[in-house]
Order: sequence, then C-alpha cells, then structure tokens
Amino acid sequence: MDVRDELMEHVPRLRRYARALINNRDLADDLVQDTLERALGRTEMFQAGTDLRAWLFTIMHNVFANQARKASSRAVHVAVDDESVHESEFAVPAQQSRSLEMRDLDYALQRLPVEQREVVLLVGLEEMSYADVALALNVPIGTVMSRLSRGRERLRALMAGSQPGAKLQVVR
Amino acid sequence: MSEQITPVSEEELHAYVDGTLSEERRAEVERALEQNPDLATRISDYFSLNSMFHERYDRVLNEPVPKRLQPGAPRRSRVAANWPQFAGMAAALVMGIGIGVGTHMGRDTLPSVVGSSDTRPVSADSTEVLARQAAVAHVVYMPAVDRPTDMNADHEQDFVKWLASRLGTNVHPPMLSKAGFALSGGRLLPGPDGDTAQFMYRGQNGERVTLCISRRKVNANTTAFKLYQDGPVNVFYWVDGDFGYAVSGGIDRKQLLQLSHDVYSQLTAAAPPSS
Repeated sequence: MDVRDELMEHVPRLRRYARALINNRDLADDLVQDTLERALGRTEMFQAGTDLRAWLFTIMHNVFANQARKASSRAVHVAVDDESVHESEFAVPAQQSRSLEMRDLDYALQRLPVEQREVVLLVGLEEMSYADVALALNVPIGTVMSRLSRGRERLRALMAGSQPGAKLQVVR
Repeated sequence: MSEQITPVSEEELHAYVDGTLSEERRAEVERALEQNPDLATRISDYFSLNSMFHERYDRVLNEPVPKRLQPGAPRRSRVAANWPQFAGMAAALVMGIGIGVGTHMGRDTLPSVVGSSDTRPVSADSTEVLARQAAVAHVVYMPAVDRPTDMNADHEQDFVKWLASRLGTNVHPPMLSKAGFALSGGRLLPGPDGDTAQFMYRGQNGERVTLCISRRKVNANTTAFKLYQDGPVNVFYWVDGDFGYAVSGGIDRKQLLQLSHDVYSQLTAAAPPSS
C-alpha cells in the first residue's frame, strides 16, 4: 500500500488529537492539514517498516510547536503556568450537568501548558507508550514522566475545583 | 504527604493508570491504594480523566473527514467546482456543527457512534454501520441546508454524473415531491467502506430528510427495512444487492417509512411509487 493511502487511515486519529489539543474545529483541522502536507512532501524521509503513526505525531508536534512559537511572538498570551490564576475559577460545582463538565474538560485542557497538554493527551487519549511519546516530542523519557505527572495533577485540580480530594464526577 | 510513605513511585502510579505495570507490581500498587484513600482518589481521578478524553473526543473519529484532509484529493474538490454551493455548504458545516448538534440533538454530543447508551440499535449486523453513519451525517450536515438551496437542473445533472463515476453506477436522486419533499442538495461523504452519496430533502414545513446511498464491498442479499434510532433521528435502512440505503430524519416514523418506500420503489423501479 502506498504511503499516501496509509496516511489517510491516520487522519481520523490525527483529527481527534488535534481537536483535543486545540479545541477549535477549524484550527485543529488546519493543523492536521499542515501536518499531512508536510508528511506528503517528505514521504521519502519516512522509513518503510517503521511506525507511520509515530512519525505523523512527530510532524504534528513540530508543526504545532512552530505555530505556537510564531503566535506567541505576535500576541500576548495568558501564561498558563501563571500561579496567580486561581484554579478555583474553573471549578466545577458539584451537581453540574454532564455537558457542562465536558465543555469544562475542553476549557481545563486549554489551561494546561502546551507541553503538559501534549503529553497528557498522547498518553491518555492516544494511548501511546511513554517511550513513543518521548520520541514524538523529542524529549527524554524523564521529561515525559514529569510533564505527565504535573499535567494530570493540574488537570485534576482544574476539573475538581479547589476542594482537596474532590472526586471527579464523570466516569462513563 | 501520605504519598511519601508509600513505596510506590510517582512514575509507577502513572504506569498503573496507563496499564503498563507488570502484573506483580500492579498488585502491590493496589495494596498501597487500599491503605491510602487519598492516593486512591487521586488515581481514580486519573482514570476518570482518561475515560473523559475518550468520551469527549472519540466522536471525532467518526466524523466524515473533510475533503481538504484527504491526501491525494485534488486541492479543490471537483464537486465544489461543478457545484459552487458546496463551497458554501462546507463552510457552513465547519461553522454550523456546534449549533446544528445543539438544535437537532438537544444534547451535547454528536450521535456518538461508539458505545452510546442512548442509541438503540435494532440489530447488530454490518449494515447497521451505514445506518449509524447516516444518522451522524444527517445531524452533521443538515444545518448546512438551513438556507433552502434548490438544486437547479444543471447542478443536479453535474452532480449525478460525478456521483455515477465515483460510485460506479448510475444514481439518480429519487423524487419525493409527491410526499412534499424537494431535493435541496447532495454531497459525497467518505466512509470506511468507500464513498457514500448523501441527498438532502426539505419538506414544506422545513423538516429535513436525508438519503444515503453507499456501495457495499460485500454483495449481500436484499434485506427488509430496518429501523435504527439515535436520539430524535430515525433511520430506515436496507440493503439491495451492491448498495446500502439509509433514509434519516427527525420526522414521524410512519412518514419516514412511507418516504423510504418511495425511495425504494423508485431506485429499484421494481414497483410504481406507492401513493
């Protein structure tokens, strides 16, 4: 099978990840499109027999990181690591409807630093191994682990509100 | 902190959540969790986060892939060239999806194709996939025809010709004007088993119905009509030889069934249109 055809098979997953990463349908699809274009322009760099999916996620990460760099040089962004932003602002009151919680997930994810968001999603949504995530993001595996750990804890705090130990309400 | 007295490392906790710990070590982590309710809560939240990701984003896997994301597809789709209103429809789709889902489904999710407890499949055979796709496509694409865009004769012919080449057969959209429905648009949707032609109809009171036709990989015997229901959307679907058909709409089931009979009789020309 042609690499081109194989690429097509990965498009739904790339879209799913991009949507979670960016939470804007248009921009997420733009990212997928840029990723596919770059991949198609470099198919000769892809080594047959290796993991096409990992390769695509690497490309997507690079495209995304470039865009984020460009955007941050142009615009003022809220620093998501800024501790002055109280996480209780995004707290979910106990008896909220499910849809609100789910929208809240979008929002909470956007509050994570990009580096943590990528790792949390690649592991939690894409179910990639820690080693594959390290490869895709081109960072040591220890960095993956610390981003995962901080990202999950932060996301949990964002979703649960400021009450310590508050349980998340949504489980299927 | 209580975590410091547990022999389980932070790394292992995550590995436990992500299912990559050895059997033996997993049992040890579970023992540690039993003795530490705070830690257990934290770990259970991590599990919840993972399932929330899937619950929230897996639906994207079942969305039709936009033309621009299909490698090898011409930069400008031929449909758009032949039929300029498609360009507008695609834009409306991108902008309108949230709204459309909200108004048509009255809940926050697309008719999720995987494991939604709200769906009540009538049977579980492979043709049901078509029905599910049709229900999804109905909800996703119908907002695009909010503005009545009557398909004029030229456009219709171009589209029909183009469809014929893609589906490998002559497909003419059935006329449902007797039942009060006018053809208002059409598009080609990519699907796992190949392309699906989707025709959109509008009723006199603005109600919408879509007809999906897809070529099946496996030639199956003709089946009876089956009903698939997802939220307010009813889908009658059936298989006739090489093709699967699905008629979807948020209208009265009896009326939808009547329309399905009209479609069936016109497409197979086996019988004159009833009514």
